[in-house]
Amino acid sequence: MPVIEVRDLQKAYGDLQAVAGVSFDVAEGEVFGMLGPNGAGKTTTVEILEGLRIRDAGQVSVLGLDPASSGSDFKRLVGVQLQQVALYPRLRVHEVISLFGSFYDRRASTDELIALMGLEDRRNARIAELSGGQAQRLSVALAVVNKPRLVFLDEPSTGMDPQARRNLWEIIEGFKADGMTVVLTTHYMEEAERLCDRVAVMDHGRIIALDSPGALVRASFDEDAIEFVSNDGLTANDLGGLAAVTSATSQGSAHSIFSSDIPRTMGSLLDLAAERGAPLEGMRVRHATLEDVFLKLTGRTLRD
Amino acid sequence: MNAFLPLLRTNYRDFVRDRTALFWTIAFPVLFIGIFGIVLGRGDDGASYEVGLVMEDTSPQAATLGEVLSQFEALELTRGDRESEIASLADGDRRAVIVVPAGFGASISDGAPQPLQVHFDPSQQTTQQVVIPVLLRAFEVADRALTQTRPVVIADFQTLQSERLQVIDFIMPGLIAMSVMNGGVFGAIAMVSLRERRVLRRLSATPLPAWALVGADVTFRMVVVLLQTVLLVVLAVIIGGVAVKVENLPALAGVTVLGGLAFVAIGFFLGAFAKTEQGFFPVAQVITFPMLFLSGIFFPLDSMPDWIRPVVSAMPLTYLGDAMRQLMVGGAPVHSMALNLGVLAAFLVVFFSLAVRLFKYE
Repeated sequence: MPVIEVRDLQKAYGDLQAVAGVSFDVAEGEVFGMLGPNGAGKTTTVEILEGLRIRDAGQVSVLGLDPASSGSDFKRLVGVQLQQVALYPRLRVHEVISLFGSFYDRRASTDELIALMGLEDRRNARIAELSGGQAQRLSVALAVVNKPRLVFLDEPSTGMDPQARRNLWEIIEGFKADGMTVVLTTHYMEEAERLCDRVAVMDHGRIIALDSPGALVRASFDEDAIEFVSNDGLTANDLGGLAAVTSATSQGSAHSIFSSDIPRTMGSLLDLAAERGAPLEGMRVRHATLEDVFLKLTGRTLRD
Repeated sequence: MNAFLPLLRTNYRDFVRDRTALFWTIAFPVLFIGIFGIVLGRGDDGASYEVGLVMEDTSPQAATLGEVLSQFEALELTRGDRESEIASLADGDRRAVIVVPAGFGASISDGAPQPLQVHFDPSQQTTQQVVIPVLLRAFEVADRALTQTRPVVIADFQTLQSERLQVIDFIMPGLIAMSVMNGGVFGAIAMVSLRERRVLRRLSATPLPAWALVGADVTFRMVVVLLQTVLLVVLAVIIGGVAVKVENLPALAGVTVLGGLAFVAIGFFLGAFAKTEQGFFPVAQVITFPMLFLSGIFFPLDSMPDWIRPVVSAMPLTYLGDAMRQLMVGGAPVHSMALNLGVLAAFLVVFFSLAVRLFKYE
């Protein structure tokens, strides 16, 4: 039986349809990602699953309960991390963890959580003195203070530098190894690709694609991409006509060509550039990513 | 699960580590008590007031009047000419100036007495309240001496209290009521701040029941308000020399808590409308500031014009101040104690139910 079942979920704020009919399941032990730009409806969906918002329509079952009506019986089972919570600025790290621990019967030890999050040397620091990444790690620690089977992380890596983000990824991989089910929202495609078993790509309150990151990419692209910068006169149209090219996109002077046969495309691209006298700078060949999938599906980038 | 004590501990830590809040809660009322205590405190009881006496008549009757006046210890007589004494009055060096006009004695013998002229500055409260009554009494004594009559109606005034109340006894309970009000209303800012920083929302994702959160917060505010009251009562005794009725202290603690709860409820109610801490502050000021001046804390209610009475009656501080004054120093009741307690309880119930109804986690 899935840990989470969602059928035709809907939620509006006034005229704005934040979630417009969303359905998916999350299996036990899975890391399930929700990827999309700000305003796509990820947070609203997750907050309905957490029991913090009441849906307008649709069926939701989380751990066999309806989060909207199960109250504290439900809340003691799940772990939650929210965006933009500024905890008691004058409390110390270990004091906040102890406080949240006191809300639950079943709880991890404070020192264990501090060690897990790598906050040992900030144990006695006041919340106001933490860096953005440290505060974010603390909020993830609070989400697992009750050793939940299911944890919701809403953009947990926001405000982190790349090193801190990688540390967090290791922690989340640890959750998965412990058999925890993780629901994760993000707008970093790299994060979704690395961590998630399956990803729901959301835009304008709907799921526009749902599969494993690899399958999502393969479904949209069975090709690799050539990327380069050229200031002179090459248009997406020109590039689309090159040998073995399936699609081409240009954003200003930055171009991406997707090709089913890189050597053939490369040959004809070099010929074209020589003929036009156009410079080709920063050229590289890479696999297609979720970012490309999102761009192809919506015509926009994730950070738009 | 018992989150009540950890929450209480959290409130305590959050409070004592916030130096600004600590200052406003402790130092501000202490400064108030200190300043009022020093300025108005019981000095020596033989305080005397300088009064100028201008003798423009040399008759024996005028001399008798001067003799009688000089026997009153509360008056420190200075003799001088009219011009210089009036000038001293204008400079604030005299409380009053009595002019005995030329021909005063002769006019008494003629059976058509000339009035004395008494000059004073009506803006000086103590002159009105203390000096003028003493002068009237002195004139009465002088009148009997000059007309050789003996009084037949003799009154022996018994005050309600064993000790006569002074201004300081009036002010101190009011200041304590004020600090209970501020502690209650402004105490609600902690909740507003938790909501503004989305901590309330985060807490709502835990099994923590709302009653535990609110209960711990209110309990902590009451402890603060009680400690504040204890501190202020002690200071009122030490600095102001206020004669506190010790047997009433438990009841005073009870009234402190009841008043504190009523004002916390009002604070929570106001807090429901404020999105931010900064938005809460001016609203709370607008509510509390008029109460300082209109609910008999600094000025007695009977000195206020009739048209403002309905406003005064609608203010909870009026009832808390009156209850505290009755209990602390045995002040004359404005309202019965039952009415005071009843109104405070009504404010508590009404505003707490409104606050519960309007409460939002975000």
